[in-house]
Amino acid sequence: MIDIKKIATAGAVVAGLTMAANTAMADSSTRVALVPGGPHPYFAAWEQAGKDAAKDFGLGSADYKVPQKWELSLQNQMLESLVTQGYNAFLVFPGDPVGTVAIADELAATGAPVMALAGCLKDPSQAVFCMGTDTGNSAYLGTKELLKVLPKGAKIAHFTGFLVDPNTQLRIDAVEKAAKEGGAEVIQVIADIDAPEPAEEKINAYLAAHAGEVDGLITTAWVPAVVASNALRKIGDKRIKMVGIDHDEVVLGAIKDGFVHGTMLQNPYGQGYLGSYAADRLRSGCTVKKDAPFKSIALTDKFIDSGTVFAGADAVDNYVGSMQKITKDIFADFEGKYLNCG
Amino acid sequence: MSGIEIDSAAVPEAAPKQGRQLGPLQRFMLSNEFGLIVLIVVFAVVFWTVSPMFLSKFSLYALGRTSAVNIMIGFSMMVVIVTGGLNLAVGAIGVCAAMACGWLMQAAGMNWVFATLGGLAVGGLLGAVNGVVIVRSGLHSFVITLATMSIMFGMMIFLTQAESYREISPVFTGFGRMKLWGVVPPMLLMTIVVGVLLWVLFTFGSLGRQILAAGANPAAAELSGINVGNMVIWCHALSGMLAGIAGFMLVSRTGAAIPSMAGQLGQDWLLPAFLAPVLGGTLLTGGRVSVLGTLLGGFLVTMLTGGLLLMQVGAFWIQTYLGLLLLLAVLLDLARRSYLARNKLV
Repeated sequence: MIDIKKIATAGAVVAGLTMAANTAMADSSTRVALVPGGPHPYFAAWEQAGKDAAKDFGLGSADYKVPQKWELSLQNQMLESLVTQGYNAFLVFPGDPVGTVAIADELAATGAPVMALAGCLKDPSQAVFCMGTDTGNSAYLGTKELLKVLPKGAKIAHFTGFLVDPNTQLRIDAVEKAAKEGGAEVIQVIADIDAPEPAEEKINAYLAAHAGEVDGLITTAWVPAVVASNALRKIGDKRIKMVGIDHDEVVLGAIKDGFVHGTMLQNPYGQGYLGSYAADRLRSGCTVKKDAPFKSIALTDKFIDSGTVFAGADAVDNYVGSMQKITKDIFADFEGKYLNCG
Repeated sequence: MSGIEIDSAAVPEAAPKQGRQLGPLQRFMLSNEFGLIVLIVVFAVVFWTVSPMFLSKFSLYALGRTSAVNIMIGFSMMVVIVTGGLNLAVGAIGVCAAMACGWLMQAAGMNWVFATLGGLAVGGLLGAVNGVVIVRSGLHSFVITLATMSIMFGMMIFLTQAESYREISPVFTGFGRMKLWGVVPPMLLMTIVVGVLLWVLFTFGSLGRQILAAGANPAAAELSGINVGNMVIWCHALSGMLAGIAGFMLVSRTGAAIPSMAGQLGQDWLLPAFLAPVLGGTLLTGGRVSVLGTLLGGFLVTMLTGGLLLMQVGAFWIQTYLGLLLLLAVLLDLARRSYLARNKLV
């Protein structure tokens, strides 16, 4: 599903380009734990990102640790165990934006830098910042790209993630806003389907019944994007245009073959790589600048956009290059913008 | 505080061999509770040897806090098992009670004390509903609670729209993060207090003795004037309240009442719910309860999980290893008791 080799190559190139800029001595005692909320393909790139960051910046380690399922108490238990195992920096996808604040504060109390990655904690928390995709903006831009290839007054359906994920409502609102601005109509929103079984069931049922009434599809979560790409390929009708999300091979293949118009790339590799780097710098004595140019989003005022970019058929072969460029751009002035290392 | 029973014939393992009179210490050494203490010590030494950080303050605090919840979940199942029944809905009821408490605090703006009492009432009521349906229908509690697990969880999701309640009183959340003497979580003390109260109930309380009698031999209990149906309803209501307390602990720990806190349909609670009392010596056939055993069983299960994580066993292998270790623990305990009995060491 995920081309790890390409991601690794991207990492190596980014690292090569950035190592020269990094003259500070790394603290080899830094042990970073990258902990998602549970198993999900989106986070797979964190593993390579951690390995690359450990190698490039001389970290003690930067390990990807996955709770065996999406359960807040399991994630909490794993984080507590990681402290005991000697990890001293934490990059965490919050299992719950409020429910994870307590454990984040406890981790920070041990002296470890804690960052929210790919999803944010609700302020106030001891997380130094949150780095992730500006999900609303990504959904907005993706819908705009879709509308470019649809006639005026088009009818679109939106397939998205779990309603308990605070990003989901932002995505729904952003798609609605972009559609309104472009004179289109969102005739159906199907949420809570970022898992194979519900996604297969609901998307296939919807398209079986309503494919003739829809002009375009926008998907703003990984699994729905994969399932909808497969469904359009099976239907074989290229009349329905679709913009997906992320870089699953199924989606990329459907773009190449003309069944999907394009995808909104996110940057999980960059999140893991830059987060590990920042954790090490913070452990080496750097502090977060008081006037750092963080963005404000619904959950936090300490948000760093890890970037998003549209990849159509012409750019799909070079999607790694696109992610690489985003990471490189953020890295280039990361320390100057966000950290005090004097 | 070891095994409490009303019918010694139902407990062959504790019966004296060849008519020998056993002293209290000898009886204790033959008990599940003693076996569990030995296992806890053995595994603690193993985990400490692998990672000295196992006995660090942070680790012990985390272990105490997690085990407090698991033991409470075990108590919730224990009080139903004692009647010879089961409560598969412990997780669903616990989440319903916690969500009700969260709703009362956030949406109704209630003081945390009243919200907690309200949540406790919801837990007790849902448990009592289980008990009433079981008694009236005459069906086994397995079937009824399997059904109500889905019904209760589904209703909760419908009513809350799967939204978490996050505006929890700071007093309430502060409790879950508090440390006494830098290492003891108050949640563990609370669990121990509840355990003592349960022990008093089953050892000295008239109601507790009647419950044990009803669990050991329902027909005989009826003949002696005990309303067995009422006992079943009481036990399920108590189970619901204890599940609610476990839910409150999780809310206190995370600072939010979250619909998925016990997994889909509350199923994530079932493993500790069964393991803690059964490892502790509570008989599945009813009539015997061990509060101390449940406490130790819950602690052992939590310690094994934590220890395996500490040993960096792959996350996806933990369930397998946990199952194997628990099987080993039970077999070792069986071997210990057989050895002692065979050699007339007690």
